[in-house]
Amino acid sequence: MHIPDGFLSTPVWAALDVAAVPAVGYLAKRAQRGLEQAKVPLLGVMGAFVFAAQMINFPVGLGTSGHLVGAALLAYTLGPAAAGIVLTAILAVQALVFQDGGILALGANVLNMAVLGMLAGYLPFRFWARGRWRRQAILLGGVLSVLVSAIAALAELRLSGVRMPMQLFQISIALFFISALLEGAITLAVMETLESINAGFIHRPASNGRSLGWVMAATVLLATVGVLFASAYPDAIQKLAEAKVFVDTPLAGYEAAFLGTAWMRKAVAGLAGLVLIFGACTLCGRLLSRQRGA
Amino acid sequence: MDRWSRGTSVLHRRDARAKTIAALVFLITLATAHRAFPALSILYFVVLCSTILAAGLPLGKALKRAAIVLPFSLVFAAISFVAGDSGRAATMLGKSYLSALAVLLLVSATPLPELLRGLESLGVPRFLLMVIQFLYRYLFVISEEAQHMRAAAQAKSGSVRRLLAGRSRFRSAAGALGVLFARSYGHAEGVHQAMLARGFQGHFQTLSTNAFTARDLAFTAAATTLLIGLRVAVEAWV
Repeated sequence: MHIPDGFLSTPVWAALDVAAVPAVGYLAKRAQRGLEQAKVPLLGVMGAFVFAAQMINFPVGLGTSGHLVGAALLAYTLGPAAAGIVLTAILAVQALVFQDGGILALGANVLNMAVLGMLAGYLPFRFWARGRWRRQAILLGGVLSVLVSAIAALAELRLSGVRMPMQLFQISIALFFISALLEGAITLAVMETLESINAGFIHRPASNGRSLGWVMAATVLLATVGVLFASAYPDAIQKLAEAKVFVDTPLAGYEAAFLGTAWMRKAVAGLAGLVLIFGACTLCGRLLSRQRGA
Repeated sequence: MDRWSRGTSVLHRRDARAKTIAALVFLITLATAHRAFPALSILYFVVLCSTILAAGLPLGKALKRAAIVLPFSLVFAAISFVAGDSGRAATMLGKSYLSALAVLLLVSATPLPELLRGLESLGVPRFLLMVIQFLYRYLFVISEEAQHMRAAAQAKSGSVRRLLAGRSRFRSAAGALGVLFARSYGHAEGVHQAMLARGFQGHFQTLSTNAFTARDLAFTAAATTLLIGLRVAVEAWV
C-alpha cells in the first residue's frame, strides 16, 4: 500500500520526510561499509528482481492469487542495511516512473516499508535463524514485514484525519493479516528454494556485540509504530484492553488517570510504554548475546 | 515514458534541478492548500495541461497515465464519504491526481539519468542514486526473464494446471522465484565484471556539462512566482 500525495496532512508528511532523511542516509552509509563496491550493481539488479517477482503469481485458493512483496526476503539475502537501500530505490522508482505513491509521501512510504517493515521482518531472523525455530522465524518475519508497514500506514492516515468506520477498519486489518500470512508463506518457500540452489545467497547475521545497538534501535523504531498506532486508534486499543488482552500490563488501557489533559495522558502513557518495551528488548538482547557467547 | 523524456522543447532543455525545484514547489503549495481548494485545483490543472502541451507531450495519454492513482484514491475517498466527510473525499481525489500529473510531467520532460544527476547535486546520497539507476536499467531485462519463465510454465503445464493441487502450484511458483533470484544474482556479477573491465571507478562519468544557466534560474523563479501567486490570489479572492 503506497500512500499517494494529498492523503497525509502537512505535519505528518513533513515530519516523516524529515525523519526519513537521516534514516536513509544511515542505511546508505552502513550498506556501503558492509559491502565491497561490487555490490552496487547487485543491489540494483535485486531491486529489479523484486519488481519482476510480482509477475509470478502464487495461488491462494478460491481462484485468487497473490505475489511477493519482498522486504523480508531482501533482508534475509542482502542484510538489513542493503535491503533498506534496495527497498528505498524501489519506492523511488515506483513514485517517479509509475506514479505509484507520492513524492512528498515518499518519506512516509520509505519509513513504513523500507525501514520499519524491513526491520520487523529481519528481527525474528536475526534472533532465531540459527536455532531450531529457523523456519518459524522466517515465516514470522515475512508476516511481520507486511503487517507492520500496513499498520504504520493506517496509523499515519488516521493521524492525518482520514476517518474510517470501525467495521471497515476491522475488515481492512483482517485483509492485511491474510496478505501478511501469504507473504510469510511465500518468503519461507522461496528461502527454502534458495537454500537448495546455493546456501551462499543467504545473509549470515554477524554475531559480534556491536550489532546489539542496531537491534535496540530496531526495537525502538518498532515500538514507535505501536505508540503511533495506539494514539491514532485509541478505541481499538481500548477494545483490546476490554478483551482482557492487556489486563496484566501495567498500563492497561493506556490510562494514567492522574494526568491532566487527554493529549498529555496519551503522550506520557505512550512514552512509558516505549521505555518499558525498550527495557525488555535490551534485556532480551543481553541475555541472548550472553547465551551465544557461552 | 523514455521516449517522451527525449523531446527537445524549451521544458526539456531546462536543467534537471530547475524542473525538480519547480515540481517540488507545485507539490508543496498544492499539499498545504486548504481554503478555496476547488478553484485552485482547476487553475493548477490548467497550468499543468498547458505545460504538458508546451512541452509537446500527448495530453490525452498523459492524463490517462496519471489516472493510475485514482483506483487507490477512490477507495479512500469512498471511505471518507461514507464516514460523512465528503469535503475531504473530494480534496483527496483532486490532490492525489494533480500531484501524480505533476510528477509525470517532471519525469516525461527529463531523462531519468539526468534527473538523478540533478538530485545528486541537490544532496541525495550518490550510493542510493546509483542503485536507483541500476534498478531502472535492469528492470525490463529481469521482467522479461520473468515473463519468459511464466510462458514456459504455462506451456509445460497450462492444461493440467487446474488439476494440480494448490500446494504443488505454490511450490512451483516458489521454485520459479528462486531460479529468477539466482539468475538475477548471476546477471549482477556479470555486469559488475564487465564494468570493471571497462574501467569503472565507483561512480558514473558523464559527458554533458551540468551547468545551471541564467535561463534555468529564470524558469525556476517564474514557475515559483506563478504557482505561489496563483494560490495567494485565489485565497484572497474567495
